[in-house]
Amino acid sequence: MKKSLLPALLCLAITSHAAPPQKIDVSKLPQQSKLVEDVIVPVPSEIFGVLDKLGRPRWVEVLRPIKNVAKPFGEQPQVALYLGTVIAEGFVAVEAEDADQVKKIGRSVLSLSEALGVSKSVKKRANAIIDAGDQKDWRQVRKELDGALSEVKSGMAELGSDQLSQLVSLGGWLRGTEALCEVVNGDYSRDGADLLHQPVLLDFFDGRLEGLKGRYRRNALIGKIREGLKDIRPLIGLADGAVISAKSVKEVGVISSNLVKAIQSKK
Amino acid sequence: MNRILSALLVVLVACMPANATVDDALAYALEAAQPYIKEGFTVREDYWGGDMAVGQPKAITQQLFKGNEYWFWMATDVKSARISVHVYDSDGNLCEVDARQKGQFASARVVPKRSGTFYIIVEIEKSPQERTHWGMAYGFR
Repeated sequence: MKKSLLPALLCLAITSHAAPPQKIDVSKLPQQSKLVEDVIVPVPSEIFGVLDKLGRPRWVEVLRPIKNVAKPFGEQPQVALYLGTVIAEGFVAVEAEDADQVKKIGRSVLSLSEALGVSKSVKKRANAIIDAGDQKDWRQVRKELDGALSEVKSGMAELGSDQLSQLVSLGGWLRGTEALCEVVNGDYSRDGADLLHQPVLLDFFDGRLEGLKGRYRRNALIGKIREGLKDIRPLIGLADGAVISAKSVKEVGVISSNLVKAIQSKK
Repeated sequence: MNRILSALLVVLVACMPANATVDDALAYALEAAQPYIKEGFTVREDYWGGDMAVGQPKAITQQLFKGNEYWFWMATDVKSARISVHVYDSDGNLCEVDARQKGQFASARVVPKRSGTFYIIVEIEKSPQERTHWGMAYGFR
């Protein structure tokens, strides 16, 4: 029997026209809400937009240009993670307004999606990324990158690869975090550093990695990432409002950078 | 013959995918989001949805960032239903700056004072159905 949410709310009669309670006891929320299954992983532009408001990041320096279209290698978890990092790079390329990189990234998204068996779902989006990049329609590129992410995940879910689909989000989150740290390292501010305070996402990814089965769980890269997330956790502020120091930002940057390198490496 | 046809129809209707009405609810939610795109909001291509009983709210945990402004748009395909969405911060304080209800639509606006965990409470307050499909999208700028 599912627990009701009502004990968590103040004892007010909730009629169809009642105002919502001003305060709820989050410790009494039903267990299913604490399982964070419903988390939607933010796209990098959700954070990059804030960085743009806080200062003038040098996105061209943050961008890791790809020379050629990305080719898949390694086992499926690595390909899924790699795809995530490439999609995140697309968001950096948009910030840097690098149309050439956006187009290469669009082709790379297609290449990696093929290896995961979801190119059919993604082809339209990948081509739209390339077209929008060609026209330097950055808003549209962002929309198509977000859509590509969503369709990769739903395509993989249809194939019964739910486990792998979340690795795409994780790869994107790691590259996005690396980029965030690089920007904040270059011009530290408390508000910029505070963007790293993402405990619910760490819980989400940790839970997903914990739930991996069989050979995916035993994958060495997955093991490395699990350790990396454990190392990141104490650095991102355990309580809301805790100050995340410049030193912590640097350390998170190093950890995420090493993980992205590992994802993108053939070793 | 008529009995066979009626029985077939019943089977066909019973086999219709339940997601069809979650998709309908989501379509309404996205319709509510459309005017905000012109105001500069980016509407995410990822959504929440499902079905709920009346008076049994659901809490969704979500990461939000200080520096952004967010809207959550919720809808149901049941026109006579009444739904609500409200947002609380990690301490359990109601933190939305605007919340609206109009028939099968509800929305809430949040301007986070700090980055972190937020709880979005969605509820079917009134509905003629035992379980009511709902969908929700969000956007930011």
